[in-house]
Amino acid sequence: MSSLSYREIAYNGLWRNNPALVQILGLCPLLAVSSNVANALGLGLATMMVLTGSNLAVSLIRRQVSEAVRIPVFVMIIATLTTCTELLMKAYTYELYQILGIFISLIVTNCVILGRAEAFASKNTALSSAFDGLMMGMGFALVLVVIGGIREALGNGTLFADMDLLFGPLASNWTLHLYGEGEGLLLAILPPGAFIVVGFLIALKNAIDSSLEQRKARTEVGEKERVSRRVRTTGVIN
Amino acid sequence: MSSTNSGLGRSIGFNSLLLGVFALVTSLLLASTYLNTRDRIAEAERLSAQSGLLELYPATSHDNDLLDDVLPIPDSYLKTLGLRQPADIHIVRKAGEVIGFILPAVAPDGYSGDIDLTIGINADGTLAGVRVTRHRETPGLGDKIELRKHPWILSFDGLGLGNPPRDQWTVTKHGGIFDQFTGATITPRAVVHKVRDALLFYSEYGDQLLTAASGDGAADDNLARDEGEQP
Amino acid sequence: MTSTRVSSPHSHAPLDTRGLMTLVLVATLPGLAALTWNFGWGSLINIALASAVALATEAAIVALRKRPVLFYLRDNSALVTAVLLGLALPPLAPWWLVVIGTFFAIAIAKHLYGGMGFNPFNPAMVGYVVLLISFPVQMTSWLTPRGLLAEGVDLPGLWQSLQIVFPLPGDPAAITSALDGSTGATPLDTFKQHTGLLVEQIYAQEPLFSHGELAGFGWEWVNLGFLAGGVWLLYKRVFTWHAPVAMLTALVLMSALFYDGGSSTSGGSPLLHLFSGATMLGAFFIVTDPVTSAASNLGRLIYGAGIGLLIYVIRVWGNYPDAVAFAVLLMNLAAPLIDNYTLPRTYGHRKRGKATAKPAEKQP
Repeated sequence: MSSLSYREIAYNGLWRNNPALVQILGLCPLLAVSSNVANALGLGLATMMVLTGSNLAVSLIRRQVSEAVRIPVFVMIIATLTTCTELLMKAYTYELYQILGIFISLIVTNCVILGRAEAFASKNTALSSAFDGLMMGMGFALVLVVIGGIREALGNGTLFADMDLLFGPLASNWTLHLYGEGEGLLLAILPPGAFIVVGFLIALKNAIDSSLEQRKARTEVGEKERVSRRVRTTGVIN
Repeated sequence: MSSTNSGLGRSIGFNSLLLGVFALVTSLLLASTYLNTRDRIAEAERLSAQSGLLELYPATSHDNDLLDDVLPIPDSYLKTLGLRQPADIHIVRKAGEVIGFILPAVAPDGYSGDIDLTIGINADGTLAGVRVTRHRETPGLGDKIELRKHPWILSFDGLGLGNPPRDQWTVTKHGGIFDQFTGATITPRAVVHKVRDALLFYSEYGDQLLTAASGDGAADDNLARDEGEQP
Repeated sequence: MTSTRVSSPHSHAPLDTRGLMTLVLVATLPGLAALTWNFGWGSLINIALASAVALATEAAIVALRKRPVLFYLRDNSALVTAVLLGLALPPLAPWWLVVIGTFFAIAIAKHLYGGMGFNPFNPAMVGYVVLLISFPVQMTSWLTPRGLLAEGVDLPGLWQSLQIVFPLPGDPAAITSALDGSTGATPLDTFKQHTGLLVEQIYAQEPLFSHGELAGFGWEWVNLGFLAGGVWLLYKRVFTWHAPVAMLTALVLMSALFYDGGSSTSGGSPLLHLFSGATMLGAFFIVTDPVTSAASNLGRLIYGAGIGLLIYVIRVWGNYPDAVAFAVLLMNLAAPLIDNYTLPRTYGHRKRGKATAKPAEKQP
């Protein structure tokens, strides 16, 4: 297994293989709690923590665990980390925990986590596995926060409301009021809004990718032409 | 043959041991996290349960522990308050005197089902305040009964059974004094009617409640221990 | 979507899309006339505005997709969407409501799914539902029908209506507040608001019902108008009878079943459900949309009955007063599945083919 560079791992997690936009994994919590930035960030951070921790742990024990009991061991690790995260959130951000509710425990069923443990952490060094977990988690969290921001701005007319649930009283005046409250497009904060926003984000990513590809293809063609011209002048023909 | 058999046996033994070790390690981790967070979680749960009550009677207005200082609602009145199972009334005291009560109620006739309320009634029968704790009303129409969406629910503060007169305890559309929302009459009407029912309950049972509360209040002089930590 | 129209092989002059759509537009006229008589200029303004937005959006998106603009505009389908949405919206709705709804219907519900013929959901209903759940206050305030207005109050005239729909920033509030005296709930909404009363009491107490003959003053005429237009379309063989008849039958059956003689928990009589709200508009102009409904006659029966059933369920036990749009969208979603099980045997093939089954000939 050739190991990837950190740059590649980061690019993979944040963009090319983004768990939410490309792998379309873990959509259930993604859609359910992304009605504002605070909730989205809360769940995003929790997922990131579990993913980094589970990747690190799985990678550390990858040589000791045999094929036969690999999956049960992974599941045990992931479940433990999720429960620890849940307990910690309950202890330090209780109100946010109440809002996110079942979706914290459901991190355990988020396919991204077992997927990364199996596909990456079980084959790579501890450090790059942890980094992969961090980047995948960050990719997931970023999409969550962007969706949360769009839905909150459209539906509620605010941004960063309720951030004090996550960061304590210090953050209670972070709320940005974009326009009159309660006059927004309610659709955005209701469940269908989540699907529509995710759809548009996926479309946007694909559009960006294809325009990048076209530009790349164009420059490559240009290079080839230059090369072929030079080839002709030297008279070597394949 | 025998060698593969023993190989298999060894493998099973090894794997079981491995699983056992992991189960042990993970449970140790879980147990230590649990032990380390237990107190904080209990504290957070308590604060959260209290914060609903504190909205009606702020920390400065009383000096007892609202959560533990309770009396049961008599079964015969559960129906008046729309409750389906036994519930408690929280007693509010200041300097040994009972200044009010906080009781739960359920308005069953919202636009889409139950609306759960918490109602604070002062000892003199006026309202300290009303809050909606749970509902399923239509977003954008009926959900303005939530304080974070609309200040309507504050219009109850200070009112009582005689003020306004009993026949005006309804929405303006039906001749009352309470505003309905544009496009939503049922939701506010359900809330107003249930608050009126709660006041009726207090007018009938209030005296008994006051006696019962001041009876055991003397024993309950240990002031709220986490009073100083209120935000 | 499949377009297996089960029509006679001998039909004389097959209508093209443009012809069909023109017939549909003409058939809305009686209903539109009733709306205008009862509620003033609002519906006409809605339709004019929605049409302009729909055509502009359609042209812009077709141009973006690098297709022939005039060809697509000429099929009138965008116009039909706009007219249906304009009829469904409350009269004198603010201009931005109409613009958002129409844009959503054309750009998102129609073209993002591939344009005319590929949209799984009825665009007008998508636009309507988006507005209903986003702006419930504006979407549920209807005017009081002309005949029930108090003495001396009249529906706003054309000029005043335009001022209400397009308020200028400096406009005196007096213009919009003139509306306050004349807004009211629809019959379905009124009915739902009286939860504790017997049906008889509601009918005696509310002028909307006590002045009506069938199911609510004014509204019954609107529904009769759409019924007349629909029957004419049926006579012209624009669509088959299956879906509308199945829908109305299911709605009548459900309301008869739960009517229980008019107690306080009754969901309303069959007449109320047939002739109020958007029942007839839905039955003949929405449910019959060839793109988003089921393809075979049997399929259309199931599709229509499902809509009728859901309309009753959502109207009586749901969160919003009317339910035609929700019911239609839900059954739109089910239409491909219905097609899968009800497509008729293709001539020359033995077994009933499933729409999504792989061709059997490939296997040796």
